[in-house]
Amino acid sequence: MIGQVLGHCRVVAKIGEGGMGVVYRARDEVLHRDVALKVVGTNMRPDSSSSQDLLREARASSALAHPNICTIYEVGEAEGQLYIVMELVEGKPLRALIGEAGLPAESVLRYGVQIASALVRAHDKGIVHRDLKSANVVVSAEGLVKVLDFGLAKRIGNEVLEESTLSLEALQEKSTISGTLPYMAPEVLRGEAADYRSDLWALGVVLYEAASGRLPFKGQTAFEVSSAVLRELPLPLGAPVPPGLWAIIQRCLAKEPTQRYQRAGEVQAALEAVQSNVIFSGDSGGDRGGGPARTTVFHGVRHVHVRKGDFLLLVGTLKGAFLLRSNAQRKRWEVGGPYFHGQAVYAMAYDGRAGQRRIWLSTQGYWGTFPRYSDDFGKSWTNPQEAPIRFPQDTGLSLKNIWQIALGRPEEPGVLYCGVEPAALFESRDSGESWSLVRGLFNHPHRPRWVPGNGGLALHTIVLDPEERRRMYVAISAGGVYRTDDGGGTWTAQNQGIRVMFMPVKYPEFGQCVHKIAMHPSRPDRLFLQNHFGLYRSVDRGGSWTEIANGVPSDFGFAMVMHPRNPDCVYIVPVESDEFRCACDGRLRVYRTRNGGASWEPLSRGLPQKGAYETVLRDAMAVDSFDPAGIYLGTRSGQIFGSMDEGKNWQKILEGLPAVVCIRTAAVEEAGASRPVSREQSSPNSSRTKSTATRKSGRGKS
Amino acid sequence: MPVIFHIPGPLREFTGGRGKVEVEVEIERSPATVAEALSALYAVYPGVRDRIATEQGQIREHINVFIGAEDIRYTGGLMSRISSGVEISIVPAVSGG
Repeated sequence: MIGQVLGHCRVVAKIGEGGMGVVYRARDEVLHRDVALKVVGTNMRPDSSSSQDLLREARASSALAHPNICTIYEVGEAEGQLYIVMELVEGKPLRALIGEAGLPAESVLRYGVQIASALVRAHDKGIVHRDLKSANVVVSAEGLVKVLDFGLAKRIGNEVLEESTLSLEALQEKSTISGTLPYMAPEVLRGEAADYRSDLWALGVVLYEAASGRLPFKGQTAFEVSSAVLRELPLPLGAPVPPGLWAIIQRCLAKEPTQRYQRAGEVQAALEAVQSNVIFSGDSGGDRGGGPARTTVFHGVRHVHVRKGDFLLLVGTLKGAFLLRSNAQRKRWEVGGPYFHGQAVYAMAYDGRAGQRRIWLSTQGYWGTFPRYSDDFGKSWTNPQEAPIRFPQDTGLSLKNIWQIALGRPEEPGVLYCGVEPAALFESRDSGESWSLVRGLFNHPHRPRWVPGNGGLALHTIVLDPEERRRMYVAISAGGVYRTDDGGGTWTAQNQGIRVMFMPVKYPEFGQCVHKIAMHPSRPDRLFLQNHFGLYRSVDRGGSWTEIANGVPSDFGFAMVMHPRNPDCVYIVPVESDEFRCACDGRLRVYRTRNGGASWEPLSRGLPQKGAYETVLRDAMAVDSFDPAGIYLGTRSGQIFGSMDEGKNWQKILEGLPAVVCIRTAAVEEAGASRPVSREQSSPNSSRTKSTATRKSGRGKS
Repeated sequence: MPVIFHIPGPLREFTGGRGKVEVEVEIERSPATVAEALSALYAVYPGVRDRIATEQGQIREHINVFIGAEDIRYTGGLMSRISSGVEISIVPAVSGG
């Protein structure tokens, strides 16, 4: 062959020999470039009609321009030889790089992400590889991965399969067994059609092999290999393989295609998540002692790619959290998540203090309730070994849920608060690494007589006085409003004038079912309150309350947020009665006061006004700090609406989510940037955080 | 004495990826209990403790612990007796909505 010309390529030297034929280095004499030229072996030659199919498919796959796919330039037939001209990839087959003990996790992840990325592109174009294996992946000296033979296996693969499954005799030699068969998915061995998920199986095999140096399914004969693929579970990979990587491999190697990842993009995202985890924490698995472990979330998770200047909506639902990314225009939204799918996320917060870019959330599920944070916009989240928020043993109580995560003041960036169920306040002074029960409130003599509302006995709202550093407020369902003026040491009930419907005494000292309280930082003497029946205002720091339900269709509701700049402007969503708890008359309307509660006006343009039996819960409304301000609300039916003109016009941003229980906003700044003061000081909520609505909004059941 | 635990998928992050782990239970008094076996498990794999049990040491509401095929709720709870080589399964209960 050397010196021979096929098409316009002159064969220079033999590079190697594979299942499909012999590969040569060649020179394209027209385009003056070095190429690889594969001459398809006569035993692999399809009949003439299949030959046409092969040509067609190879040409289709030649359109796969992707940095991790070896480009096919040309397919042709000359002098009875079927040949394929492709990009000449300088590097070593992955197979040859994998030593006996496997590659370091960092390399496995780096190569794995690139292979998955190649599959994403091919699958998007409708092309299944069908013969992905470590021998078909070439790694350059710089670590760039190229996947070979895309689109060629679809036709030729049948021949390989037949050979593998029918001519067992020919497969007795180990060399052949280590070729293609160990990478074949169970459904392919059963003779079913291969689809994208068969490639994901093969990727799982490649990852296993790369991580451990051995194949997951082995045998001395083809029969033994097939049998292992069909029936056996691979030996678990322990340290130093990160558990997150092992979890990904396991999911790729699920025997049933429906149990695997369904898209290559999911595998890529999952690998990237573990990758960032390994890089950031230096954690490559192994025994972790008592230190905090990071987890990664990889079940069908899509990540948002956040840049400086972006704007985020943090959305907590009963079945996981989502991140919605946009920019200052807030017109187009990229959706990330679900994070912690299947777990309830009642509380979220964005902490931009001291140059951080940290998203907090709480998860509640079978396995308990945990606060977690992510410093990389959801790619990895903390998963502490020990639950950081725990009731001390002497209390006899167990944490049921975290309803609120609130940031401390900007001048104390390590301070955080959590409001929990059963009703109690926890405080952290070390950026959330450790938490302690605020005993001053816990020991309040009223506490034994607080009663749970419909949603449980929860401390759900925390409001800090921006001027008086030792003063803060909490709201409890059903206990009422409590205030401390000494940094949490002592607390007094602040419920005078707030009516209760469910007790014989209508104006008790405490026991009110408060749903939300809100304060504008420029008016710390004044509070607004949405009660379980009743809208109130206090101008004496909660000392007494006056009804302000002037012109609303119902004084029942959950959510309540302040305008970012106007201290007289408050937004609520009235709902009908405590039994029905849906938008009044089936019309979803936000109500706004711009005069501190003297009157309220409906805002409904763009919101559903017919048959919309929606509920907006306690924390499912938020404002941003743009001018004009954006207002956002989420419903129990899983819709998110937004208004970018302070409530005048509304658009649906997203639908189809699980029940929304929490929305927060975040303006993303450069990592490490210190807080600018100009805008934030004039803008109320954000004066203490970039999470512009941290302390005001609504969920509800109480 | 050795005890084998079957670890559900969500907790394997805390057992180095292993679905089945063997721990050695030191018998302070005979016979040993599930509580002692769990303590031995927590000592080796501390991350599983707060997932299985509340901070007050009770098995979480929606988590079931089985000795062989028996739910410990019906065999004496955490004080259920165990013998050498017993297999204990930790399984999330059927619930939700």
